[in-house]
Amino acid sequence: MSTKATVTYDSAQRTNPAIEELQEAFNYHHLILQLVRRDVLTRYKRSVLGIAWTLLAPLGMMLILTLVFSQIFRFNTVYGYAAFLLSGLLAWNLFSQTTTAAMANLVWGGGLLNRIYLPRTSFALAAIGTGLVNICLATIPLLLIILITDVPLTIAFVFLPVPMLLLAFFSLGVGLLISTLAVYFPDVVEMYQIVLTAWMYLTPIIYPIEVLPEPVRFLITHLNPMYHLVELYRMAVYYGRFPTWEELLPAVVISISTLIAGWWLFARKSDEFAYRI
Amino acid sequence: MSSLTESKPIGLEASLPDQTEQVIRLENISVRYRVPQERIGTFKEYAIQWLQRKIKHDSFWALKDVTLSVNKGEIFGLIGKNGAGKSTLLKLIARVLRPTQGRVRVQGRVAPLLEVGAGFHPELTGRENIYLNGAMLGFTREEMNAKFQEIVDFAELWDFIDAPLRTYSSGMWARLGFAVATDVEPDILIVDEILSVGDEAFQRKSAERIEAFRERGTTILMVSHNMSAVENMCQRAALLDQGKLIALGSARSVVDRYLEIVRWGESSRLLQEGVPDETNRWGNRLIEITRVRTLDENHVARVIFHTGQKLVVEIEYTAHQPVLSPIFGIAIHRHDGVHITGPNTAFANLDLGVVKGSGKIIYTIPNLVLLEGRYQFSVAVTNQDDTQMLDYHDRAYPFRVDNHGIDISERYGLMILNGEWRCN
Repeated sequence: MSTKATVTYDSAQRTNPAIEELQEAFNYHHLILQLVRRDVLTRYKRSVLGIAWTLLAPLGMMLILTLVFSQIFRFNTVYGYAAFLLSGLLAWNLFSQTTTAAMANLVWGGGLLNRIYLPRTSFALAAIGTGLVNICLATIPLLLIILITDVPLTIAFVFLPVPMLLLAFFSLGVGLLISTLAVYFPDVVEMYQIVLTAWMYLTPIIYPIEVLPEPVRFLITHLNPMYHLVELYRMAVYYGRFPTWEELLPAVVISISTLIAGWWLFARKSDEFAYRI
Repeated sequence: MSSLTESKPIGLEASLPDQTEQVIRLENISVRYRVPQERIGTFKEYAIQWLQRKIKHDSFWALKDVTLSVNKGEIFGLIGKNGAGKSTLLKLIARVLRPTQGRVRVQGRVAPLLEVGAGFHPELTGRENIYLNGAMLGFTREEMNAKFQEIVDFAELWDFIDAPLRTYSSGMWARLGFAVATDVEPDILIVDEILSVGDEAFQRKSAERIEAFRERGTTILMVSHNMSAVENMCQRAALLDQGKLIALGSARSVVDRYLEIVRWGESSRLLQEGVPDETNRWGNRLIEITRVRTLDENHVARVIFHTGQKLVVEIEYTAHQPVLSPIFGIAIHRHDGVHITGPNTAFANLDLGVVKGSGKIIYTIPNLVLLEGRYQFSVAVTNQDDTQMLDYHDRAYPFRVDNHGIDISERYGLMILNGEWRCN
C-alpha cells in the first residue's frame, strides 16, 4: 500500500488523543528535525561568531558568577567551583530555555497552526531537540574547564546521556503544561520568567546543597524535582560516580510522570487551541 | 453514487483515479465559537469572575448543519459574503479545526495555499526555507531534494536561493511560497482567493500550474469573491450565508443564486436611498412629487434591470393648488455624471392642462438600451414656461443595469446600438 493512498482523516474516529498525538508526532519527525535545524541555525545567525556563541555564552556566564561567588561566599565544593557551577548552569539552562521556548513557539506558531495541520506538539518537541543539541555542544567548554581545573574525569562520564534525557523529559512535560496554561492565560508567559528566577535560586546551581540549614535542605531535596535532575547530571561530569538506585529512581519517576501528565493534558486540550490562539 | 463508493472495499483499487470517489465529506457539520464577553487576561480576574459565576460566553455558530461532499478531481468553489463561514470550512478540511458537531472525512494529502509563505523564517536562506516548508507539508528531506530544482526554477530565484529570506522582496517571497506549495503535488489543494502574486507573467504561470493540477486529477477547493472565475473554473460550488449552506450544485446555478441575494440586498439599500432630503431637493412645491418608482414589464417595483428590458418610471404628485400646464421631466445620469438624456412632457408635446389634486405621470422606456452600470434618475416638475421650479429631486433615484445570465448581443460601454453583423 502506498503511503499516499492511506492518508485519510476522519474527525469521528478518535482514539486516545494522547496516543494519536504521539503517532502524528512520529509521522512528522522530519518536520521536527527541520525545526530543530532552523532553531540551531538561526539563533546566532546574524552574529559574526555564529554558533560559537552556544559555547561562549555559558562560559561567560560561568566566568562572571565564578568571580563573584568565589570572592563573596567561598563555597566549599568537592572539586573546583568553576566546574561545579558550569555543570549546574548547563543542566538548568536546558530546563529553563526549552520550557520557555516550547511556550513561546506555540504562541509564535499559533498563526501557522491555524492554517495548516501540524502535530501541535511539534514546536515543543523541536524546542527540546534544540536544547539537547545546545547542551551537547556546551559539553565541549565544560570538558575544557574540567581538564583545566583538575576535576577527575571518570568512567561515569558515559552515564551523561541518561540525566540529559531525563532533563529533556521533565522539560517537555513542564513545557507542555505551561503551554496549555498560556493558551488560556497569556499572562503565564511573563509570570513564568519570575517563577524560573525563584526556582533557580531554590535549586543548588550556584551553591552546594550542604550550605543550606537542615530544614531548608530537607524541603528542597523533597519538593524540588530539579534538585534530583541537576545532581544526577553532576554525578556524571563532576562527582565522577554512578548514581545509586535511591538517587536514580526519584529522578526517573519524576521526569517520566511529568512528561506523561504534560503530554496527556496538552493533547486533550489541543483541539481547543485552534478556537483560541 | 455515494453508496457505490462507500461499499467499495479499501484496497489497492481505492487509490486508482475514480471520478465518483468522494475525497471530502462533511456530514452535518456545526462549529460553535465561544466568545467571552469580556476578555479575561489573568488568573486573578478569571478566579474572581469564576467565583462570581460571571463568566459569560456568547455562542456564535460559524457553521450550522452543513453537509456536502467534493468528488475526486473536481474544482469546487466556495462562495459567500465575508464572515459566511468559508474560512472555518477550509480549516475543518485542513484538519486545523475539529467540528463542534458532525463528521469530517478527508482522503489524501491536503496542501493549503492560504497566505503563501506563512511558515517561512526570515533568517533562513531560500534553500533552507524550501526544506522547512516541505517538512510542514509532510515531506522528507530526500523527497524535497528531488523537487528542489523545479521549485527554484519555477520561482525564478536562481541567484538568491542561498540568501536569507529577509533580503527578498515581497514578490520573491510570495513566488517562493507559491512554488513550494504547488510543487508538492497534493491530492487536495486549497486555494483561498485567486492568486494575485507576482507580475503578470508569473500570474499566467500560476494559472497554468493550477490548470495542470486539474488535468492530473488533483481536487481543488477554491474560495473566491470573483464570480466569473468561479463560474469559469469550477464544476460545482457551494454557497454559504451566515454559517448555513444555502445552495449547492453547478457553479453557474450557485453563482446565480449568490448574485440574486447580493442584488436583493442591494435593491433594498437602493430603494432606501431613493428618498430625497433637503440637500438634493428644491422648488416651491406648488406641485409636490410624492413618490417615484421604477417598474418592470410586470409592473413590479425594482431597481435592477437588464439591457432590453422595459422600464417604467412612475411619478406620483400632489398639486396643492391648481397649476396650468406644468411640465414633468426626468434626467438620467450615469453614476460618474455623464448625462444620458433629459426627456420631459413639453418636448413630447403632452399638455397636461390644469393639474389639481393627486395623480400619476408615467414615462415608459419600452426597450432599455443602457448597458451594465449604475445610473440615477432626477425627477422635476416646473411651471408652464419652465421659469419656475416647483419640485426637483436631483439624482435621487438610483438603478442598476446588470446583464449577468442574460444573452446580450453587445457589451462594454454605455449603450447597445442593436447593430447587425453580416458576412458577405
